[in-house]
Amino acid sequence: MTAQSQANTAAAGPRSGFGIWLDQHLYSFVASLGRVLRRPWTTLLTIGVMAVALALPLGLGLALDNLRHFAGSVEQSREIDLFLKPDIDVPRAQALAAELRSRGDVAKVEVRTPDEGLAEFRARSGLGDAIGALEENPLPCLLIVTPREASSTLVAALERLPETGLVQHDEAWRKRLQGWLGFGARLAWVLAALFGLGALLVVGNTVRLDIQSRREEIGVLQLLGATDGFIRRPFIYLGAWYGLVAGALALGLLFAAEYALREPLQALAESYGSGFALSGVDPLRAAGFLLAATVIGWLGAWLVTGHFLRQTRPTET
Amino acid sequence: MSVLRFENVSKQYPGGHEALADVSFEIAQGEMLFVTGHSGAGKSTLLKLIHLSERPSRGAVVFGGKNLLKVRGGRVPLHRRDVGAVYQDHRLLADRSVAENVALPLILRGDRRADIGKRVREVLARLGLGHREKALPSQLSAGEQQRVGIARAIVAEPMLLVADEPTGNLDPTLAAEIMSLFASMPERGTSVLVVSHDLALIKRMKKRVLILDHGKLMDDISPADLAE
Repeated sequence: MTAQSQANTAAAGPRSGFGIWLDQHLYSFVASLGRVLRRPWTTLLTIGVMAVALALPLGLGLALDNLRHFAGSVEQSREIDLFLKPDIDVPRAQALAAELRSRGDVAKVEVRTPDEGLAEFRARSGLGDAIGALEENPLPCLLIVTPREASSTLVAALERLPETGLVQHDEAWRKRLQGWLGFGARLAWVLAALFGLGALLVVGNTVRLDIQSRREEIGVLQLLGATDGFIRRPFIYLGAWYGLVAGALALGLLFAAEYALREPLQALAESYGSGFALSGVDPLRAAGFLLAATVIGWLGAWLVTGHFLRQTRPTET
Repeated sequence: MSVLRFENVSKQYPGGHEALADVSFEIAQGEMLFVTGHSGAGKSTLLKLIHLSERPSRGAVVFGGKNLLKVRGGRVPLHRRDVGAVYQDHRLLADRSVAENVALPLILRGDRRADIGKRVREVLARLGLGHREKALPSQLSAGEQQRVGIARAIVAEPMLLVADEPTGNLDPTLAAEIMSLFASMPERGTSVLVVSHDLALIKRMKKRVLILDHGKLMDDISPADLAE
Protein backbone atom coordinates (compact mmCIF):
# COMPACT_ATOMS: atom_id res chain seq x y z
CA MET A 1 0.00 0.00 0.00
CA THR A 2 1.29 3.48 -0.84
CA ALA A 3 1.38 6.33 1.71
CA GLN A 4 -1.68 7.81 -0.01
CA SER A 5 -3.53 4.52 0.31
CA GLN A 6 -2.56 4.19 3.97
CA ALA A 7 -3.88 7.70 4.57
CA ASN A 8 -7.17 6.77 2.88
CA THR A 9 -7.51 3.62 5.00
CA ALA A 10 -6.68 5.52 8.19
CA ALA A 11 -9.29 8.14 7.37
CA ALA A 12 -11.90 5.44 6.85
CA GLY A 13 -11.11 4.02 10.30
CA PRO A 14 -9.92 0.55 11.26
CA ARG A 15 -12.14 -2.46 10.42
CA SER A 16 -12.62 -5.41 12.66
CA GLY A 17 -11.64 -8.84 11.33
CA PHE A 18 -15.21 -9.97 11.96
CA GLY A 19 -16.62 -7.12 9.84
CA ILE A 20 -14.36 -8.07 6.92
CA TRP A 21 -15.22 -11.76 7.37
CA LEU A 22 -18.94 -11.00 7.43
CA ASP A 23 -18.76 -8.75 4.36
CA GLN A 24 -16.82 -11.31 2.35
CA HIS A 25 -19.22 -14.09 3.36
CA LEU A 26 -22.14 -11.91 2.32
CA TYR A 27 -20.41 -11.26 -1.00
CA SER A 28 -19.87 -15.02 -1.54
CA PHE A 29 -23.43 -15.80 -0.43
CA VAL A 30 -24.93 -13.40 -2.97
CA ALA A 31 -22.47 -14.50 -5.69
CA SER A 32 -23.41 -18.17 -5.16
CA LEU A 33 -27.13 -17.39 -5.34
CA GLY A 34 -26.51 -15.53 -8.58
CA ARG A 35 -24.77 -18.61 -10.01
CA VAL A 36 -27.68 -20.86 -9.03
CA LEU A 37 -30.23 -18.53 -10.65
CA ARG A 38 -28.18 -17.82 -13.79
CA ARG A 39 -28.20 -21.52 -14.79
CA PRO A 40 -31.64 -22.82 -13.88
CA TRP A 41 -31.50 -26.02 -15.97
CA THR A 42 -28.15 -27.18 -14.65
CA THR A 43 -29.33 -26.34 -11.15
CA LEU A 44 -32.61 -28.22 -11.61
CA LEU A 45 -30.90 -31.32 -13.00
CA THR A 46 -28.29 -31.41 -10.25
CA ILE A 47 -30.86 -30.87 -7.55
CA GLY A 48 -33.23 -33.43 -9.09
CA VAL A 49 -30.59 -36.19 -9.21
CA MET A 50 -29.46 -35.35 -5.68
CA ALA A 51 -33.03 -35.29 -4.39
CA VAL A 52 -33.79 -38.78 -5.72
CA ALA A 53 -30.50 -40.11 -4.34
CA LEU A 54 -31.29 -38.62 -0.93
CA ALA A 55 -34.97 -39.62 -0.92
CA LEU A 56 -34.32 -43.34 -1.49
CA PRO A 57 -32.48 -44.18 1.76
CA LEU A 58 -34.73 -41.84 3.76
CA GLY A 59 -37.79 -43.51 2.24
CA LEU A 60 -36.44 -46.95 3.10
CA GLY A 61 -35.70 -45.78 6.63
CA LEU A 62 -39.26 -44.50 6.99
CA ALA A 63 -40.72 -47.76 5.65
CA LEU A 64 -38.66 -49.70 8.17
CA ASP A 65 -39.75 -47.42 10.98
CA ASN A 66 -43.37 -48.05 10.08
CA LEU A 67 -42.75 -51.79 9.91
CA ARG A 68 -40.98 -51.65 13.28
CA HIS A 69 -43.90 -49.70 14.71
CA PHE A 70 -46.27 -52.36 13.38
CA ALA A 71 -44.05 -55.18 14.63
CA GLY A 72 -43.85 -53.50 18.04
CA SER A 73 -47.57 -53.88 18.56
CA VAL A 74 -47.32 -57.53 17.52
CA GLU A 75 -44.47 -58.10 19.94
CA GLN A 76 -46.36 -56.56 22.82
CA SER A 77 -49.11 -59.19 22.45
CA ARG A 78 -47.41 -62.14 24.06
CA GLU A 79 -50.58 -64.26 24.16
CA ILE A 80 -50.41 -68.00 23.61
CA ASP A 81 -53.38 -69.48 21.75
CA LEU A 82 -54.28 -72.89 23.21
CA PHE A 83 -56.71 -74.73 20.95
CA LEU A 84 -58.32 -77.59 22.88
CA LYS A 85 -59.24 -80.96 21.40
CA PRO A 86 -62.68 -80.96 19.66
CA ASP A 87 -64.22 -83.22 22.32
CA ILE A 88 -63.46 -80.83 25.18
CA ASP A 89 -66.66 -79.01 26.11
CA VAL A 90 -67.05 -75.48 27.48
CA PRO A 91 -67.36 -76.42 31.22
CA ARG A 92 -64.15 -78.47 30.97
CA ALA A 93 -62.46 -75.61 29.16
CA GLN A 94 -63.50 -73.18 31.90
CA ALA A 95 -62.21 -75.59 34.58
CA LEU A 96 -58.89 -75.84 32.74
CA ALA A 97 -58.74 -72.05 32.51
CA ALA A 98 -59.21 -71.81 36.28
CA GLU A 99 -56.38 -74.32 36.82
CA LEU A 100 -54.09 -72.34 34.57
CA ARG A 101 -54.91 -69.03 36.30
CA SER A 102 -53.52 -70.53 39.52
CA ARG A 103 -50.07 -70.93 37.93
CA GLY A 104 -47.51 -68.32 38.91
CA ASP A 105 -46.28 -67.72 35.35
CA VAL A 106 -49.75 -67.00 33.95
CA ALA A 107 -51.14 -63.45 34.09
CA LYS A 108 -54.50 -63.99 32.45
CA VAL A 109 -56.58 -66.70 30.75
CA GLU A 110 -59.51 -65.90 28.51
CA VAL A 111 -61.96 -68.55 27.31
CA ARG A 112 -63.30 -68.30 23.78
CA THR A 113 -66.16 -70.77 23.24
CA PRO A 114 -66.74 -72.41 19.81
CA ASP A 115 -69.86 -70.22 19.35
CA GLU A 116 -67.94 -67.03 20.09
CA GLY A 117 -65.19 -68.16 17.77
CA LEU A 118 -67.63 -68.86 14.97
CA ALA A 119 -69.35 -65.48 15.42
CA GLU A 120 -66.00 -63.68 15.24
CA PHE A 121 -64.94 -65.68 12.20
CA ARG A 122 -68.26 -64.92 10.51
CA ALA A 123 -67.82 -61.18 11.16
CA ARG A 124 -64.21 -60.99 10.00
CA SER A 125 -64.17 -63.37 7.05
CA GLY A 126 -67.28 -62.17 5.26
CA LEU A 127 -68.19 -65.82 4.68
CA GLY A 128 -71.48 -65.59 6.62
CA ASP A 129 -73.59 -67.53 4.14
CA ALA A 130 -71.07 -70.35 3.76
CA ILE A 131 -70.67 -70.65 7.53
CA GLY A 132 -74.46 -70.70 7.96
CA ALA A 133 -74.55 -73.76 5.71
CA LEU A 134 -72.48 -75.77 8.20
CA GLU A 135 -74.44 -78.39 10.12
CA GLU A 136 -72.32 -78.14 13.22
CA ASN A 137 -69.67 -75.77 14.59
CA PRO A 138 -66.24 -77.25 13.72
CA LEU A 139 -64.31 -74.87 15.99
CA PRO A 140 -62.80 -76.10 19.26
CA CYS A 141 -62.68 -74.20 22.55
CA LEU A 142 -59.84 -71.71 22.68
CA LEU A 143 -57.92 -70.51 25.73
CA ILE A 144 -56.00 -67.28 25.24
CA VAL A 145 -53.20 -67.42 27.81
CA THR A 146 -51.23 -64.29 28.64
CA PRO A 147 -47.96 -65.20 30.38
CA ARG A 148 -46.40 -62.94 33.01
CA GLU A 149 -43.22 -62.93 30.91
CA ALA A 150 -42.03 -64.62 27.73
CA SER A 151 -41.49 -68.20 28.75
CA SER A 152 -40.82 -71.34 26.74
CA THR A 153 -41.48 -73.59 29.78
CA LEU A 154 -45.13 -72.43 29.92
CA VAL A 155 -45.52 -73.25 26.21
CA ALA A 156 -44.01 -76.69 26.83
CA ALA A 157 -46.31 -77.25 29.83
CA LEU A 158 -49.37 -76.30 27.78
CA GLU A 159 -48.30 -78.64 24.99
CA ARG A 160 -48.12 -81.51 27.48
CA LEU A 161 -51.72 -81.07 28.71
CA PRO A 162 -54.00 -83.98 27.64
CA GLU A 163 -56.73 -81.51 26.60
CA THR A 164 -54.38 -79.67 24.19
CA GLY A 165 -55.07 -79.89 20.48
CA LEU A 166 -52.68 -77.14 19.26
CA VAL A 167 -50.51 -74.45 20.87
CA GLN A 168 -49.87 -71.41 18.73
CA HIS A 169 -47.12 -69.14 19.91
CA ASP A 170 -45.56 -66.38 17.71
CA GLU A 171 -42.15 -66.10 19.35
CA ALA A 172 -40.20 -67.76 16.54
CA TRP A 173 -42.03 -65.68 13.96
CA ARG A 174 -41.30 -62.50 15.96
CA LYS A 175 -37.62 -63.42 16.19
CA ARG A 176 -37.50 -63.84 12.43
CA LEU A 177 -39.25 -60.49 11.94
CA GLN A 178 -36.76 -58.84 14.29
CA GLY A 179 -33.94 -60.33 12.23
CA TRP A 180 -35.42 -58.94 9.03
CA LEU A 181 -35.93 -55.53 10.64
CA GLY A 182 -32.34 -55.49 11.86
CA PHE A 183 -31.14 -56.42 8.38
CA GLY A 184 -33.40 -53.76 6.83
CA ALA A 185 -32.06 -51.10 9.19
CA ARG A 186 -28.47 -51.99 8.28
CA LEU A 187 -29.41 -52.02 4.59
CA ALA A 188 -30.93 -48.54 4.99
CA TRP A 189 -27.65 -47.27 6.47
CA VAL A 190 -25.58 -48.89 3.70
CA LEU A 191 -27.88 -47.36 1.07
CA ALA A 192 -27.76 -44.01 2.85
CA ALA A 193 -23.94 -44.13 2.73
CA LEU A 194 -23.89 -45.17 -0.95
CA PHE A 195 -26.51 -42.68 -2.10
CA GLY A 196 -24.96 -40.00 0.12
CA LEU A 197 -21.65 -40.63 -1.63
CA GLY A 198 -23.48 -40.45 -4.95
CA ALA A 199 -25.03 -37.11 -4.00
CA LEU A 200 -21.59 -35.86 -2.91
CA LEU A 201 -20.12 -36.87 -6.28
CA VAL A 202 -22.99 -35.20 -8.15
CA VAL A 203 -22.32 -31.92 -6.32
CA GLY A 204 -18.57 -32.34 -6.74
CA ASN A 205 -18.93 -32.87 -10.47
CA THR A 206 -21.28 -29.91 -10.90
CA VAL A 207 -18.96 -27.65 -8.93
CA ARG A 208 -15.98 -29.00 -10.91
CA LEU A 209 -17.72 -28.02 -14.16
CA ASP A 210 -18.53 -24.63 -12.67
CA ILE A 211 -14.88 -24.18 -11.71
CA GLN A 212 -13.77 -25.18 -15.22
CA SER A 213 -16.08 -22.60 -16.77
CA ARG A 214 -14.77 -19.97 -14.36
CA ARG A 215 -11.09 -20.90 -14.52
CA GLU A 216 -10.18 -17.60 -16.10
CA GLU A 217 -12.13 -15.61 -13.54
CA ILE A 218 -10.49 -17.54 -10.70
CA GLY A 219 -7.08 -16.87 -12.24
CA VAL A 220 -7.84 -13.13 -12.33
CA LEU A 221 -9.04 -13.16 -8.73
CA GLN A 222 -5.87 -14.98 -7.66
CA LEU A 223 -3.72 -12.39 -9.43
CA LEU A 224 -5.65 -9.64 -7.66
CA GLY A 225 -4.81 -11.22 -4.32
CA ALA A 226 -7.84 -13.34 -3.51
CA THR A 227 -7.16 -15.88 -0.78
CA ASP A 228 -8.06 -19.55 -1.23
CA GLY A 229 -10.95 -18.96 1.16
CA PHE A 230 -12.33 -16.10 -0.92
CA ILE A 231 -12.22 -18.20 -4.10
CA ARG A 232 -13.55 -21.30 -2.40
CA ARG A 233 -16.44 -19.68 -0.54
CA PRO A 234 -18.91 -19.05 -3.42
CA PHE A 235 -18.45 -22.65 -4.60
CA ILE A 236 -18.95 -23.99 -1.08
CA TYR A 237 -22.10 -21.91 -0.71
CA LEU A 238 -23.18 -23.23 -4.12
CA GLY A 239 -22.68 -26.83 -2.94
CA ALA A 240 -24.55 -26.11 0.28
CA TRP A 241 -27.41 -24.57 -1.73
CA TYR A 242 -27.61 -27.65 -3.93
CA GLY A 243 -27.66 -29.90 -0.85
CA LEU A 244 -30.27 -27.85 1.02
CA VAL A 245 -32.67 -27.51 -1.92
CA ALA A 246 -32.19 -31.16 -2.93
CA GLY A 247 -32.89 -32.19 0.68
CA ALA A 248 -36.07 -30.10 0.72
CA LEU A 249 -37.14 -31.60 -2.60
CA ALA A 250 -36.46 -35.14 -1.30
CA LEU A 251 -38.63 -34.39 1.74
CA GLY A 252 -41.33 -33.05 -0.58
CA LEU A 253 -41.21 -36.28 -2.61
CA LEU A 254 -41.56 -38.36 0.54
CA PHE A 255 -44.46 -36.25 1.82
CA ALA A 256 -46.17 -36.74 -1.54
CA ALA A 257 -45.56 -40.51 -1.39
CA GLU A 258 -46.88 -40.64 2.17
CA TYR A 259 -49.98 -38.67 1.14
CA ALA A 260 -50.59 -41.05 -1.75
CA LEU A 261 -50.19 -44.20 0.37
CA ARG A 262 -51.78 -43.13 3.66
CA GLU A 263 -55.44 -43.64 2.76
CA PRO A 264 -55.28 -47.03 0.96
CA LEU A 265 -52.96 -48.42 3.64
CA GLN A 266 -55.26 -47.26 6.41
CA ALA A 267 -58.21 -48.90 4.64
CA LEU A 268 -56.20 -52.10 4.29
CA ALA A 269 -55.25 -52.07 7.99
CA GLU A 270 -58.85 -51.43 9.01
CA SER A 271 -60.02 -54.43 7.00
CA TYR A 272 -57.75 -56.54 9.26
CA GLY A 273 -59.13 -54.84 12.35
CA SER A 274 -55.90 -52.94 12.91
CA GLY A 275 -55.63 -49.26 13.82
CA PHE A 276 -52.20 -49.01 12.18
CA ALA A 277 -51.53 -45.62 10.55
CA LEU A 278 -48.58 -44.62 8.37
CA SER A 279 -46.22 -42.27 10.14
CA GLY A 280 -44.20 -39.73 8.10
CA VAL A 281 -41.05 -37.68 8.73
CA ASP A 282 -41.18 -35.90 12.07
CA PRO A 283 -39.91 -32.27 12.20
CA LEU A 284 -36.72 -33.16 14.10
CA ARG A 285 -35.80 -35.86 11.62
CA ALA A 286 -36.63 -33.55 8.70
CA ALA A 287 -34.33 -30.87 10.16
CA GLY A 288 -31.54 -33.42 10.65
CA PHE A 289 -32.02 -34.67 7.11
CA LEU A 290 -31.83 -31.13 5.67
CA LEU A 291 -28.69 -30.49 7.68
CA ALA A 292 -27.11 -33.74 6.44
CA ALA A 293 -28.02 -32.90 2.81
CA THR A 294 -26.51 -29.42 3.19
CA VAL A 295 -23.33 -30.88 4.68
CA ILE A 296 -23.07 -33.36 1.78
CA GLY A 297 -23.33 -30.50 -0.74
CA TRP A 298 -20.87 -28.39 1.22
CA LEU A 299 -18.38 -31.27 1.53
CA GLY A 300 -18.54 -32.15 -2.18
CA ALA A 301 -17.80 -28.55 -3.15
CA TRP A 302 -15.08 -28.22 -0.50
CA LEU A 303 -13.22 -31.31 -1.74
CA VAL A 304 -13.33 -30.28 -5.40
CA THR A 305 -12.29 -26.65 -4.83
CA GLY A 306 -9.51 -27.81 -2.51
CA HIS A 307 -8.15 -30.08 -5.25
CA PHE A 308 -8.36 -27.26 -7.81
CA LEU A 309 -6.65 -24.71 -5.56
CA ARG A 310 -3.78 -27.10 -4.80
CA GLN A 311 -3.11 -27.27 -8.54
CA THR A 312 -2.81 -23.49 -8.83
CA ARG A 313 -0.12 -22.96 -6.21
CA PRO A 314 3.07 -21.17 -7.41
CA THR A 315 5.80 -23.56 -8.61
CA GLU A 316 8.22 -24.22 -5.76
CA THR A 317 11.75 -24.69 -7.09
CA MET B 1 14.01 3.65 -1.05
CA SER B 2 13.59 0.74 -3.46
CA VAL B 3 10.21 -0.88 -3.97
CA LEU B 4 11.47 -3.86 -5.92
CA ARG B 5 14.95 -5.37 -6.14
CA PHE B 6 16.10 -8.33 -8.20
CA GLU B 7 19.35 -9.74 -6.79
CA ASN B 8 21.12 -12.09 -9.22
CA VAL B 9 17.85 -13.78 -10.06
CA SER B 10 17.80 -16.87 -12.27
CA LYS B 11 14.82 -18.94 -13.21
CA GLN B 12 15.11 -22.37 -14.72
CA TYR B 13 11.91 -24.22 -15.64
CA PRO B 14 11.53 -27.98 -15.33
CA GLY B 15 13.06 -29.34 -18.52
CA GLY B 16 16.11 -27.11 -18.22
CA HIS B 17 15.03 -23.94 -20.08
CA GLU B 18 16.63 -20.94 -18.37
CA ALA B 19 14.18 -18.05 -18.68
CA LEU B 20 16.18 -15.59 -16.58
CA ALA B 21 19.92 -15.64 -15.89
CA ASP B 22 21.52 -13.65 -13.11
CA VAL B 23 19.29 -10.60 -13.45
CA SER B 24 19.80 -7.69 -11.02
CA PHE B 25 18.04 -4.32 -10.94
CA GLU B 26 15.93 -2.22 -8.63
CA ILE B 27 12.99 0.16 -8.89
CA ALA B 28 12.77 3.17 -6.58
CA GLN B 29 9.52 4.36 -5.04
CA GLY B 30 7.68 6.58 -7.51
CA GLU B 31 9.84 5.50 -10.43
CA MET B 32 8.50 4.43 -13.83
CA LEU B 33 10.49 2.13 -16.08
CA PHE B 34 10.07 -0.01 -19.15
CA VAL B 35 11.22 -3.59 -19.72
CA THR B 36 11.64 -4.59 -23.33
CA GLY B 37 13.03 -7.46 -25.37
CA HIS B 38 12.11 -9.96 -28.02
CA SER B 39 9.82 -12.91 -27.54
CA GLY B 40 11.39 -15.38 -25.11
CA ALA B 41 13.60 -12.70 -23.58
CA GLY B 42 12.23 -13.44 -20.10
CA LYS B 43 9.76 -10.57 -19.70
CA SER B 44 6.81 -12.77 -18.74
CA THR B 45 8.91 -14.76 -16.29
CA LEU B 46 10.03 -11.52 -14.69
CA LEU B 47 6.38 -10.54 -14.15
CA LYS B 48 5.53 -14.01 -12.82
CA LEU B 49 8.34 -13.74 -10.26
CA ILE B 50 7.05 -10.33 -9.14
CA HIS B 51 3.55 -11.77 -8.84
CA LEU B 52 4.73 -14.92 -7.11
CA SER B 53 3.19 -17.09 -9.81
CA GLU B 54 6.70 -18.55 -10.02
CA ARG B 55 9.66 -18.59 -7.67
CA PRO B 56 13.29 -17.95 -8.62
CA SER B 57 15.68 -20.89 -8.94
CA ARG B 58 18.53 -18.73 -7.63
CA GLY B 59 18.89 -15.22 -6.24
CA ALA B 60 16.32 -13.11 -4.42
CA VAL B 61 13.39 -10.90 -5.33
CA VAL B 62 12.96 -8.27 -2.62
CA PHE B 63 9.69 -6.35 -2.57
CA GLY B 64 9.09 -3.54 -0.08
CA GLY B 65 12.15 -4.76 1.87
CA LYS B 66 10.78 -8.32 2.07
CA ASN B 67 12.42 -11.33 0.41
CA LEU B 68 9.63 -12.95 -1.60
CA LEU B 69 11.18 -16.39 -1.09
CA LYS B 70 9.91 -16.16 2.47
CA VAL B 71 6.38 -15.31 1.36
CA ARG B 72 4.52 -18.62 1.38
CA GLY B 73 1.02 -20.07 1.54
CA GLY B 74 -1.59 -17.64 2.81
CA ARG B 75 0.83 -14.66 2.55
CA VAL B 76 1.02 -14.91 -1.26
CA PRO B 77 -2.42 -13.28 -1.86
CA LEU B 78 -1.51 -10.47 0.57
CA HIS B 79 1.66 -9.78 -1.43
CA ARG B 80 -0.33 -9.73 -4.69
CA ARG B 81 -2.59 -7.01 -3.31
CA ASP B 82 0.45 -4.71 -3.17
CA VAL B 83 1.09 -5.22 -6.89
CA GLY B 84 -1.46 -3.77 -9.32
CA ALA B 85 -1.47 -5.51 -12.70
CA VAL B 86 -2.63 -4.39 -16.13
CA TYR B 87 -2.79 -6.88 -18.98
CA GLN B 88 -2.95 -6.57 -22.75
CA ASP B 89 -6.16 -8.67 -22.74
CA HIS B 90 -7.58 -6.66 -19.80
CA ARG B 91 -8.72 -9.79 -17.91
CA LEU B 92 -11.97 -8.20 -16.78
CA LEU B 93 -14.75 -10.38 -15.36
CA ALA B 94 -17.29 -10.54 -18.16
CA ASP B 95 -20.38 -10.89 -15.98
CA ARG B 96 -19.56 -8.01 -13.64
CA SER B 97 -20.12 -4.34 -14.32
CA VAL B 98 -17.31 -1.84 -14.67
CA ALA B 99 -17.79 -0.69 -11.06
CA GLU B 100 -17.86 -4.29 -9.76
CA ASN B 101 -14.66 -5.12 -11.63
CA VAL B 102 -12.89 -2.08 -10.28
CA ALA B 103 -14.15 -2.75 -6.74
CA LEU B 104 -12.59 -6.24 -6.54
CA PRO B 105 -9.20 -5.29 -5.03
CA LEU B 106 -11.00 -3.24 -2.35
CA ILE B 107 -13.41 -6.09 -1.56
CA LEU B 108 -10.43 -8.43 -1.26
CA ARG B 109 -8.72 -5.97 1.06
CA GLY B 110 -11.85 -5.87 3.21
CA ASP B 111 -12.78 -2.20 2.81
CA ARG B 112 -16.21 -0.97 3.92
CA ARG B 113 -18.91 -1.02 1.24
CA ALA B 114 -19.52 2.71 1.48
CA ASP B 115 -15.79 3.43 1.15
CA ILE B 116 -15.55 1.05 -1.79
CA GLY B 117 -18.34 2.82 -3.68
CA LYS B 118 -16.81 6.22 -3.07
CA ARG B 119 -13.30 5.15 -4.05
CA VAL B 120 -14.49 3.32 -7.19
CA ARG B 121 -16.45 6.36 -8.38
CA GLU B 122 -13.43 8.57 -7.72
CA VAL B 123 -11.06 6.39 -9.76
CA LEU B 124 -13.54 5.89 -12.61
CA ALA B 125 -14.07 9.64 -12.81
CA ARG B 126 -10.31 10.17 -12.88
CA LEU B 127 -10.02 7.79 -15.84
CA GLY B 128 -12.97 9.32 -17.66
CA LEU B 129 -15.25 6.32 -17.05
CA GLY B 130 -17.68 7.89 -14.60
CA HIS B 131 -20.59 7.46 -17.01
CA ARG B 132 -19.80 3.78 -17.71
CA GLU B 133 -19.79 2.32 -14.20
CA LYS B 134 -22.87 0.14 -14.77
CA ALA B 135 -21.80 -1.12 -18.22
CA LEU B 136 -20.54 -4.67 -18.77
CA PRO B 137 -17.04 -5.06 -20.25
CA SER B 138 -18.53 -6.37 -23.50
CA GLN B 139 -20.32 -3.03 -23.96
CA LEU B 140 -17.04 -1.07 -23.87
CA SER B 141 -14.51 -0.19 -26.56
CA ALA B 142 -10.99 -1.66 -26.35
CA GLY B 143 -9.65 1.62 -24.99
CA GLU B 144 -12.36 1.79 -22.34
CA GLN B 145 -11.73 -1.81 -21.33
CA GLN B 146 -8.04 -1.05 -20.93
CA ARG B 147 -8.87 1.96 -18.77
CA VAL B 148 -11.13 -0.22 -16.61
CA GLY B 149 -8.19 -2.62 -16.24
CA ILE B 150 -6.00 0.28 -15.14
CA ALA B 151 -8.69 1.56 -12.77
CA ARG B 152 -8.83 -1.90 -11.15
CA ALA B 153 -5.04 -2.01 -10.88
CA ILE B 154 -4.70 1.38 -9.20
CA VAL B 155 -7.88 1.55 -7.11
CA ALA B 156 -6.18 0.09 -4.02
CA GLU B 157 -3.10 2.29 -4.63
CA PRO B 158 -0.57 -0.53 -4.78
CA MET B 159 3.13 0.00 -4.16
CA LEU B 160 3.93 -1.20 -7.66
CA LEU B 161 1.94 -1.22 -10.88
CA VAL B 162 3.04 -3.74 -13.50
CA ALA B 163 1.64 -3.57 -17.01
CA ASP B 164 2.15 -6.34 -19.55
CA GLU B 165 1.97 -4.92 -23.11
CA PRO B 166 -0.81 -2.55 -22.03
CA THR B 167 -1.03 -0.80 -25.39
CA GLY B 168 -0.65 -3.86 -27.61
CA ASN B 169 -4.16 -3.71 -29.04
CA LEU B 170 -4.66 0.05 -29.02
CA ASP B 171 -4.27 2.67 -31.71
CA PRO B 172 -1.43 5.20 -31.24
CA THR B 173 -3.67 7.94 -29.83
CA LEU B 174 -5.18 5.63 -27.20
CA ALA B 175 -1.76 4.15 -26.45
CA ALA B 176 -0.38 7.63 -25.76
CA GLU B 177 -3.37 8.39 -23.55
CA ILE B 178 -2.84 5.18 -21.52
CA MET B 179 0.90 5.89 -21.21
CA SER B 180 0.26 9.38 -19.91
CA LEU B 181 -1.99 7.80 -17.28
CA PHE B 182 0.85 5.52 -16.20
CA ALA B 183 3.24 8.45 -16.15
CA SER B 184 0.99 10.22 -13.66
CA MET B 185 1.07 7.29 -11.18
CA PRO B 186 4.47 8.02 -9.66
CA GLU B 187 3.16 11.41 -8.48
CA ARG B 188 0.91 9.46 -6.08
CA GLY B 189 3.78 7.28 -4.87
CA THR B 190 3.11 4.23 -7.05
CA SER B 191 6.08 2.80 -8.96
CA VAL B 192 5.33 1.60 -12.48
CA LEU B 193 6.92 -1.20 -14.49
CA VAL B 194 5.71 -1.49 -18.07
CA VAL B 195 6.62 -4.45 -20.26
CA SER B 196 6.46 -3.44 -23.91
CA HIS B 197 8.15 -4.15 -27.21
CA ASP B 198 6.90 -0.91 -28.77
CA LEU B 199 10.26 0.87 -29.04
CA ALA B 200 8.80 4.03 -30.56
CA LEU B 201 6.47 4.42 -27.63
CA ILE B 202 9.27 3.71 -25.15
CA LYS B 203 11.46 6.35 -26.74
CA ARG B 204 8.66 8.92 -26.60
CA MET B 205 8.10 8.33 -22.88
CA LYS B 206 11.75 9.12 -21.98
CA LYS B 207 11.85 6.80 -18.96
CA ARG B 208 14.40 4.25 -17.75
CA VAL B 209 14.50 1.10 -19.92
CA LEU B 210 15.72 -2.43 -19.10
CA ILE B 211 16.55 -4.57 -22.12
CA LEU B 212 16.30 -8.32 -21.75
CA ASP B 213 17.63 -10.86 -24.23
CA HIS B 214 17.53 -14.63 -23.79
CA GLY B 215 16.99 -14.21 -20.07
CA LYS B 216 19.90 -11.84 -19.53
CA LEU B 217 19.70 -8.17 -18.62
CA MET B 218 21.63 -6.68 -21.56
CA ASP B 219 21.21 -3.00 -20.74
CA ASP B 220 19.76 -0.60 -18.19
CA ILE B 221 19.29 2.72 -19.95
CA SER B 222 18.58 5.87 -17.96
CA PRO B 223 16.22 8.58 -19.28
CA ALA B 224 19.22 10.83 -19.92
CA ASP B 225 20.98 8.16 -22.00
CA LEU B 226 17.75 7.50 -23.88
CA ALA B 227 17.48 11.17 -24.82
CA GLU B 228 20.95 10.99 -26.39
